[in-house]
Amino acid sequence: MAKKSLKAKPLLSPQYCKACGLCVEACAQGCLVMGEAIHPETGLRPVVLDIERCTACGLCISACPEPYALAPLPVEGETEIPAPPPKAALTTPDTRLPLAIEDPLVIRGTYASAIGALLAGCRNFFGYPITPSTEGAELMALLLPKLDGVFVQAVSELATINMMYGCGGAGRRAMTFTSSPGMSLMLEGLSYMIGAEIPGVVVDVMRGGPGLGNIAPEQSDIKLVCRSLGHGNTHGIVLAPSTPQEMLDLTFDAFELSFRYRIPAVVLCDGYLGQMTGRVVLPKTMVRPGVPGWAVTGDREHRRNLMCSIELSERDLEEHNRRLIEKYKRIEKSEQRADLFHCDDAEVILVACNTPARMAKGAVRELRQRGAKVGLFRPLTLWPFPIQALEPVVARARRIVVVEASDGQLEDELRLALSHAGMRLPARIESLRHYGGVLPQLHEIVDVVLPDALSAGASRGRA
Amino acid sequence: MSVFYERFERHAHGEGVKGRSTHYCAGCGHGLAHKYLAEAIDDLGVQDRTIAISPVGCAVFLYYYFDVGNTQASHGRAPAVAIGHKMANPDSVIVSYQGDGDLAAIGLAEIIQAAQLGVPITVVFVNNAVYGMTGGQLAPTTPLGHATATSPAGRDLSMGAPLKMTEMIAAIDGCVYAERVALFDNKERITAKRAIRKALALQLENRGLSFVEVLSECPTHLKMSPRESQRWVRETMVRIFPLGVKKDVKSGRWPAPPPPNFDSARMVEVIGGFADHVESRDAKLPSELGDEVGLKFAGSGGDGAQTAAMLVTRAAIHEGFDATHIPSYGPESRGGTSYADVRIAVDEVLSPAVTAPNVLVAFNAPSLAKFGPHVLPGGTIIYDSSVITERPQQRDEVNCIGVPCAEIAAGLGKAVVKNIVALGALQAATRVLPEKVFIDVIRLALKSKPKLLPINEEAFRRGAEMVANARTSPS
Repeated sequence: MAKKSLKAKPLLSPQYCKACGLCVEACAQGCLVMGEAIHPETGLRPVVLDIERCTACGLCISACPEPYALAPLPVEGETEIPAPPPKAALTTPDTRLPLAIEDPLVIRGTYASAIGALLAGCRNFFGYPITPSTEGAELMALLLPKLDGVFVQAVSELATINMMYGCGGAGRRAMTFTSSPGMSLMLEGLSYMIGAEIPGVVVDVMRGGPGLGNIAPEQSDIKLVCRSLGHGNTHGIVLAPSTPQEMLDLTFDAFELSFRYRIPAVVLCDGYLGQMTGRVVLPKTMVRPGVPGWAVTGDREHRRNLMCSIELSERDLEEHNRRLIEKYKRIEKSEQRADLFHCDDAEVILVACNTPARMAKGAVRELRQRGAKVGLFRPLTLWPFPIQALEPVVARARRIVVVEASDGQLEDELRLALSHAGMRLPARIESLRHYGGVLPQLHEIVDVVLPDALSAGASRGRA
Repeated sequence: MSVFYERFERHAHGEGVKGRSTHYCAGCGHGLAHKYLAEAIDDLGVQDRTIAISPVGCAVFLYYYFDVGNTQASHGRAPAVAIGHKMANPDSVIVSYQGDGDLAAIGLAEIIQAAQLGVPITVVFVNNAVYGMTGGQLAPTTPLGHATATSPAGRDLSMGAPLKMTEMIAAIDGCVYAERVALFDNKERITAKRAIRKALALQLENRGLSFVEVLSECPTHLKMSPRESQRWVRETMVRIFPLGVKKDVKSGRWPAPPPPNFDSARMVEVIGGFADHVESRDAKLPSELGDEVGLKFAGSGGDGAQTAAMLVTRAAIHEGFDATHIPSYGPESRGGTSYADVRIAVDEVLSPAVTAPNVLVAFNAPSLAKFGPHVLPGGTIIYDSSVITERPQQRDEVNCIGVPCAEIAAGLGKAVVKNIVALGALQAATRVLPEKVFIDVIRLALKSKPKLLPINEEAFRRGAEMVANARTSPS
C-alpha cells in the first residue's frame, strides 16, 4: 500500500480518455488542451498533454473521472510492484457438535422452528413483526443475545429480505419469520437471492388472504412460493411441516439444503401449526457453521468474491440461467421428500400438507377402521414435489382426494408434477377445500371419502 | 491505484479499452466519486476489510472497478444489504453507494432506518438530479422547472419540491456525520475528496452512520456539455442544495455484535429451559376416554384459559402422552375472547382441533353457551359459578359442575389463580391425568417465581375439593 504523492506529474493514456475536458479546466498551467485527432480505438478526441509546463500539482488527475486516463507518472525507482491478487478462499467446513438434551421440549410451532434454526447454526435474525408469525421472532429476540447472535427488527419485509441478502452473502446463516402479506413483499429480494445464489431461510406462517385477509390459517401461499418466488426463472426449496416436531426438523434441514445448493429455502406452515404447542424432541447434534469460500466477508481471502444477479450480456445471462436451471434439476432429482401413511394398498389417496395433513391422517385411521382402503400422501417438500414417491402410489389408486386450505394450490402442484412426469391422471382427482381461516375437519374428510370408498371396496371384495 | 482492479475483467470480460475504462459517460460525476472513494480506501489501508454495495442505477457496475468485497443490491435496498453485511462482519468496512432515485425515492425507508439504527456504514449519495440509467426521468431531487422525460414541461409543485436528503439524514440521531459536496471545480473536488475520506475514517471509530451527498454532473441527461453541466450544478443545484457540513458530532457508540457463540454447553443452557422431564412409564388415559381426549378452555382474555391449557398439555407430555395446544384469540390485545384446544393422545395427536370436546372449562357465560352444546356424551363441563350465576340447562349425559373459581381465587388473595382452581376441579372430576403431574408442572411453570407456589397449590387443592364436595353432598 505505497502512498502516492499528489505531487506527481500525470501520465496520459489517451485510449482511456473520454474527452470530457475536466482536466483542461482544472489545469492552471494550460498543459492540457482538447484534442483534435480521433483516437482509432475509441472514436473520441482525447485531450493532449504538454508536460513541459507541468508543476505536478496533481489537480488534473483529481479532476479526471477515469481511473486510468490520467494517472500519476511512475517515478523512476519508486515504481510500485502491484501486490499479487489474493488467492481464492477455501471453504471451512461445518462442524457437528453433540447436544445433550434428552427430554422433549413442550413448545409451539414457531418456537420449534426458531430453535431448529439456532441448532442449525443461525445466529442472525432479521424480521418485521406480522401475526401469526411473530412469536418465532420474539423467541429469537430473547435467545439470540444469549448466543451472541444478532436480532434486527427491520423497517419492512423489503428491508428484512435485503438484510438477509447481505448477511447470507457474507456466508452467514440468516433467517426470518413472516406471514403471507410479508411473503408477498419479500418476493423481489428472494429473486435477487436466487439470482445471486445466496442462501437463507424464510419461515412463512401462512394466514388468510387475499389482501389483509385475517390471521387464521390458510395454505394459499403455495402458488407463490412454489411457482413465483419473485421474477425470473426462480425456484427455492419449499418444506412443509405438519407438527411442531417437524417445524424444528425441517427448519434445521432448510439451512442445510439452502447452503448445500446456495438457494433460499422456505419453511411453509400455517397459522394453526405456528401457534400449536406440542412435544418436540431435539436432535443429537447442533451445527457450528464454517465459512463458505464464496462468501463476501470483507477480508483479503474473500476479496474477489461478488454477490450479484445482473448479467448485462444476453448470452451471459442465458448461461447463468442454464446453470441455475441445472441446479433446480439436481434438487428435483435429489431432494424430494414425502411421508406415506397406509399408502401401500390404498385405493383412495388423500394428499395434504401442514395442519390439514394431520386431520387427514386422523381421517385415514378412522376410514381404515371402517374398512376403507385409504392412505395419506403427505409431501414434505412442495418444491420439488415428491413425484418419485407418488408414482407407484398413484398407479394403484382409483381416487385422489386433495385436502387443503386453499383454492386448489396444492392440487395444482400435484397435477403439474404428474403431468411433468408424463403420468396418466388417475380416474378422479377430487378435492376438499376451505378458505379464509377455516381448516378441513376430520369428519368432513371422512364424509367426502367414505361413500364411494366403501362401496367400491365391498364390490371388489365380492368379485 | 491498487483499489481499482488492474484490469476490469467484469467489464465486457475486460476486453479492449473496456478493460481499463469505466462505463460512465464523459464528464459523469460517478467517475470522480469512485476515484475519491478508491483513494480513501487506499489511504486508510482498509482494502482488505472493505465491502462495497453497488446500487441500482448508473453505479450498478461499481463492482467492475473496485478490488474489494462486492455485493450488488436491488433498487433502494443498499443500506439494508449493508446492514446485513455489517452484522455478519462488524469489523468490515461497508460502503453503501447510491444515486438519487435509489436513495431518495424507492429506498427512503431503508436509508432512514440505517441512520436511525446508527450502524456505522459509509453512505456515498450521488445526487445528479435525474434518473440516469433509466433514461432521464424525474428524480426526487430534480429542481423545480427542470424538464425531464417524465416532467416534460418542467417540474412543477404538483410533483413536490426537491428533497434535501443530507439535512434529513443529519436530523437523525444515529448519523454522526453528514456533508454535501460538489465536483464542479478544483476547490470543491478537494473538499469532496476530503469528505469521502472522513466519512470512511469515521466508520473505523464505530460510532454511527456517515453520509456524504455528492452533487454530481449528468451531462447526458442534462443534454449539456460536461463544462455546461458543471455550471448548472454550481448555479442551479447548489442554490437548492447548499454545500457544507450538516452534522459532525463526537457522540455515538455502536454496540458491535460479538462473535457468535456455538458452544453446545451454552446452547443447552439457553434452550434447556424448554425441556420437560417425561415419565418413562406407559401412560394410559382413563378407560372411559379411550385413546384420545379433547379439552376446550374458554373465557375472556385474562381468564387464564391459555395458561391452564398449556399446563394440561405439559402435564400430558410429562405423563408420556402426545399432546397439543392451540390458542385462539379475538383481535383485541386485552379482554376479548380467548379459547384453547387441547388434545391428548396415547400415541399421536391426529386432530388437534377440538370442535367436540370431552371436557369444557368455561370461565364466562358466552363461552358456556357457545361450546356447552358441543360437549360429547359422557363428557364434563366445569364452569365458573361465581361468574356464571345461572345454572346451565342440565344434559343427562354430560356432567356439569359449577365451581366458584373467581371467588375462591379472590378469597386466596390472588384473582389470577382462578384458572388453577379450575384445573384442580378438572383433575378431580375427570382424573384425565394424575394429580401429582399437575402439581409437578405447576412447580415447573413457577420455577422463577417460587413465592407464588403455595397459593397456586392451594388453589388447585380447593378446586379439587369443590368437586369432591359436590360428589358427596346431595344437590
